[in-house]
Amino acid sequence: MSLTADSPVHSSSSDDFAAFLDAELDSASDVSPDQHEVENEEAEGEEEVEDEEGQDEDGGDGDDLDDGASDSSRYYKILCEAWISSRGEPAETSGASLALDICSHPGVMGGMCIRCGQKVENESGVAFGYIHKNLRLADDEIARLRDKDLKNLLRHKKLYLVLDLDHTLLNSARLADISAEELYLKDQREVLPDALRSNLFKLDWIHMMTKLRPFVHTFLKEASSLFEMYIYTMGERPYALEMASLLDPGGIYFHSRVIAQGDCTQRHQKGLDVVVGQESAVLILDDTEAVWGKHKENLILMERYHFFTSSCRQFGLKCKSLSATKSDENEAEGALASVLKVLQQIHSLFFDPERRDNIMERDVRQVLKQVRKEILKGCKIVFTRVFPTQFQAENHHLWKLAEQLGATCSTEVDQSVTHVVSMDAGTDKSRWAVKEKKFLVHPRWIEAANYLWRKPLEENFLVSS
Amino acid sequence: MFFHIVLERNMQLHPRHFGRDLREKLVSKLMKDVEGTCSGRHGFIVAITGIESVGKGLIRDGTGFVTFPVKYQCVVFRPFKGEILEAVVTMVNKMGFFAEAGPVQIFVSNHLIPDDMEFQSGDVPNYTTSDGSVKIQKESEVRLKIIGTRVDATEIFCIGTIKDDFLGVISDPGANA
Repeated sequence: MSLTADSPVHSSSSDDFAAFLDAELDSASDVSPDQHEVENEEAEGEEEVEDEEGQDEDGGDGDDLDDGASDSSRYYKILCEAWISSRGEPAETSGASLALDICSHPGVMGGMCIRCGQKVENESGVAFGYIHKNLRLADDEIARLRDKDLKNLLRHKKLYLVLDLDHTLLNSARLADISAEELYLKDQREVLPDALRSNLFKLDWIHMMTKLRPFVHTFLKEASSLFEMYIYTMGERPYALEMASLLDPGGIYFHSRVIAQGDCTQRHQKGLDVVVGQESAVLILDDTEAVWGKHKENLILMERYHFFTSSCRQFGLKCKSLSATKSDENEAEGALASVLKVLQQIHSLFFDPERRDNIMERDVRQVLKQVRKEILKGCKIVFTRVFPTQFQAENHHLWKLAEQLGATCSTEVDQSVTHVVSMDAGTDKSRWAVKEKKFLVHPRWIEAANYLWRKPLEENFLVSS
Repeated sequence: MFFHIVLERNMQLHPRHFGRDLREKLVSKLMKDVEGTCSGRHGFIVAITGIESVGKGLIRDGTGFVTFPVKYQCVVFRPFKGEILEAVVTMVNKMGFFAEAGPVQIFVSNHLIPDDMEFQSGDVPNYTTSDGSVKIQKESEVRLKIIGTRVDATEIFCIGTIKDDFLGVISDPGANA
């Protein structure tokens, strides 16, 4: 007896029915207003919700008739029968456009299908809590949205960019964790240089102090013309929204695209499943690789931004923080500036007018790989005293990293080798490198190349003996 | 739809209010308690317009509180399936848009937006027809039809459509007056 299966959108018959029902019910309640109104109002609210649900399970149209009293539900049945018989056929087979009436329920919002308005009980699909707390979408629907959105986006020559907050775009510290050396930030705001003051926020209501990374405003402005941007953080939602408003006071970059901890479908993992964007067009900026288990190929790893001492301590760094030394990352040559160049490069390669392949089939991950391969292209690297003795060299992350960056790795020295990567200047291979005038560099050189997206100056990574 | 109806509620009043202003106290407490709440049957109680009658108080044993049955007239708002409403758009995204008609929040999914309207991201996300003549964005006023309602204790939520004749952006500003 599923009357609401008649999609009200397309069939006027169910509208008539609703009107018919309402009219009948109104007249019914007019006759006996006392009966209804004398009940205690307070208890009523709760009762009615239950009653409504109870009726929905029966497939009834609970909305137009939430009278809990048994006589009214009997009345409802009589009405239904009257309606059906008046149409001369059973409700299930009625309606000329049966195919139109069957809804696949692409999504559910607060227990109702977003397409036909019918009550839907099942709780399947992916929750999109950052759009609305009660919204769930089925996989098919997400796929459809992604496809449609990608076409739209590519037409505007844009890709998706997912941004992490902490240590990538900014650095926050709890007010309680501000060290003595940093108190000047809190207490002498007036005398701070303008550049610092405009990027440093004291948020008393969440007991936080936040420093935006240098260059972040230019970065967002430039990136917004090439990408549709999301914020994706492991922080709590209120914090994420607060940070979004600092980064984007005009509300033009992110809109409702702020994804916080509670929206992730897996614990301690960030997934692109809640991003309405085709994976082949998404780039991710984050400082933590481990959380992007399934999407490492989309990830551009960022050097962590530690402005506050507590942040350094959290990651076990012994060095003085930027705030303690009253310095900051260089605006023009910092991590965001160099990554912006990479993003621009990837974007122009992706939308290269010379390319003949179908734009819908292009994959930004391939482009990313290709760009990364250029960094140490032509370098042949030998490692010494870097891996533990028993360790399979090819499986070490530095080996893999060097290969991803376009270098060739080898275990033996020969004339084609350009760099010897060593922790110790005293090994045979290290001495060979010095003798043969090859570069002898610290492993940090490879890591630096990964962060800077260019070959770092070897002189800055000399190995101390 | 708005209704002007008579409802009844049992009000519990603390003994400290007993005195000359008892009636006023009762009414102000009633307003505080019920205005803005939802009930499944009647919908959203918008405003109390008058007191029909205050019944005899019943003293509760032990506490000294007194329960008065109060009958009051009020304006309620209850959306119905099939009803046409005018609403203000509050948020636009890829999935559709949200709109508000007073206390009622309505979601119109992109399935129920006419096919010739496409989502446009950008500084102000919107749905626009291919010729650009009609645009739905934040703060737009739209006329929509309710196809599903859900009433909770504190809020009413609806699913709506603008994919039907005479629905969509209200172009004439006077139409909303």
